[in-house]
Amino acid sequence: MAEGEVSALGTRKRFIAGKEILFDKEGFFLDARDWSEEAATVLSREMGIDVLSEKQWRLIRFLRDYYANNGKAPLSSEIKAGLGWTLMELESLFPGGIRLGARLLAGLPNPQSCTQ
Amino acid sequence: MLRKKRFIYADNAATTFPKPHEVLAEMLDLYETKGVSPGRGSYDLSVEAEDLVDRVRRQICGFFGGGDPSRVIFCYNATDALNLLIQGLIEPGCHVISSRLEHNSVLRPLHHFYQQGIIKLDLVPFDTQGFIDPDDVARAINPKTKFIILTHGSNVLGTIQPVQEIGAVCRAKSVPLILDVTQTAGMVPIDMAKWGISAIAFTGHKSLYGPTGIGGFVLSRDLDVRTTRFGGTGLDSKSLVHSQRYPQRLEAGTINMLGVIGLSAGIRYLEKKGLHSTYAHEMSLIHRLRDGLSSLQAVQLYCARSLENHLPILLCNIKEMNPEQVSTILDGDFDIATRAGLHCAPLVHQDLGTSPEGGVRFSLGAFNTAEEIDTILEAMAEICRFREGTNPRA
Repeated sequence: MAEGEVSALGTRKRFIAGKEILFDKEGFFLDARDWSEEAATVLSREMGIDVLSEKQWRLIRFLRDYYANNGKAPLSSEIKAGLGWTLMELESLFPGGIRLGARLLAGLPNPQSCTQ
Repeated sequence: MLRKKRFIYADNAATTFPKPHEVLAEMLDLYETKGVSPGRGSYDLSVEAEDLVDRVRRQICGFFGGGDPSRVIFCYNATDALNLLIQGLIEPGCHVISSRLEHNSVLRPLHHFYQQGIIKLDLVPFDTQGFIDPDDVARAINPKTKFIILTHGSNVLGTIQPVQEIGAVCRAKSVPLILDVTQTAGMVPIDMAKWGISAIAFTGHKSLYGPTGIGGFVLSRDLDVRTTRFGGTGLDSKSLVHSQRYPQRLEAGTINMLGVIGLSAGIRYLEKKGLHSTYAHEMSLIHRLRDGLSSLQAVQLYCARSLENHLPILLCNIKEMNPEQVSTILDGDFDIATRAGLHCAPLVHQDLGTSPEGGVRFSLGAFNTAEEIDTILEAMAEICRFREGTNPRA
C-alpha cells in the first residue's frame, strides 16, 4: 500500500516523523506501539490544535499509561478520578472529546460507537 | 457542580434496567427446578418443562392478540426474529415495502437482498412529526408486493405509527403487514387480530421486563414462513427433513428456557403493575422532560409537537456539542446513562439532518421518577452553561 492509499478495509498508511504508520478509516492508530510524541503533535495540528497544552498532554499521557498497564482504555470515571478534572473539562480539551480526540492522539484503539 | 446522587438510568429503549426482582427470582427458582430440555425426553420433568413452554406460548399469544399459540416462535431477540421472518418470506423478484424509520434489524436484512438484486424495495418516508402516512404505504403497493414490514414505534423519535390504518390498507390489498414491536411491546396494547397484522416481532428485554437473549415472533394463521434454520426439534428424529409443524418448523435446537421463564415472569409483572398505568407514568415523565428541555435555548429537540401516540423517548442535542460528548458528561459528571449516536437507525438521522453524529436519546422506564427528571434537567442546564462559558465554577 502506497502512502495515503486507502485499503478495502479503510486502512491508510502514512509516513509521520520518519515512521510508517497504519491508521484505520477514522484515523486511529492500528498499533499503539507506532505512537510517538511527534506523531501526536502532527495529528493534533491536523485536528486544529496549534500547540498541545500541558493539560492536553497530561490527558494523553494518562491514557497511554493506563493502556500500557491494563491493556484497555480507561473508563470515563477512571480518567476523572485519575486526573481530578470533571468530564465537562475533559471533554472540552479536544475536538471530539475524549473518545474521538484524546484517544486518537494517544494512539489508543478506535473506541467504536454507534456513530461510526 | 451538582452533587452526585444515585445513578439515573435513561437508556430503557436499549434495555430496561434494572429488571424487577420478582422476575429474576422466578427465573432462578424455575430454572433450578425445571430447567431441563423441554419436549426432548419422555421423563416427567422434560414433559413438565414442555408444558411450561406451551403455557408461555399461550400467554404471549393472548398478550399480543394472536390466533394460534403454536405460531408463537421463540428467538434470541427481535433482530433474530425479523431475520427469520424476512428470510423465510422473501422470494426472488418480489417487492417489499418498509420505511425510513426502521432500525437496522429491518433495514440490513432487506438491504442485503436488495443489493443482491433479489428483491425490489421501497422505503416510505416519515413526515415532519415522525409519522408514516398510510396513503404513502398504499401508493407503494404493487402486484408483486410480498409483504410490508414497519416499526410500530420509532426507537429514535418515539412516535407510534398509525398501524391500524396501515393494517386496513394492507387488508384491502391482501398484503401481509409485519410489525416490529420492539419498542412498543409492553408499552401499549397490541392486538394483531383486531388490527389485521400478519406477524409481530418482539424482544423480551425491553418493556416486557424479561432478560436479554429471548424474543420471538407471533404469526397469524394467514401467513406461512419457510424454514431457513434446520436441526433438532424433538419430533420425528428418524427423518432428515425438518418438521413443518408449528412451532418446530421455525425453531431449531434447544430453546432458551431461562429466557422463556423470564419473559413470562416479565409479562406477568407488567400486567400486575398495569400496562396502562405504567405507560401513563412514563409519559408524564417524558412530558416533564420535554417541557424542561424546551426551555433551554441551547437544546435542540427532535420531537413531535404533540406527545400523543408517543413512547417515553426523547431525542435532543446541545447546539455545537457532539452528542457523544454530552452523553459522556451526563454519565461521568452526573451519573445519568443515555444513548448517543445514530441508534442503529441511520436513515432517521439522515432525514432529521443529525447525521453523522446523531443525537442524545433519553428513554424512560417504569422505575424513573419525577425527581430524576429534574436532576436530568439540572444537568443539561449546567452543561449548556458550561458550553456558553458561563459556568459558575469556572
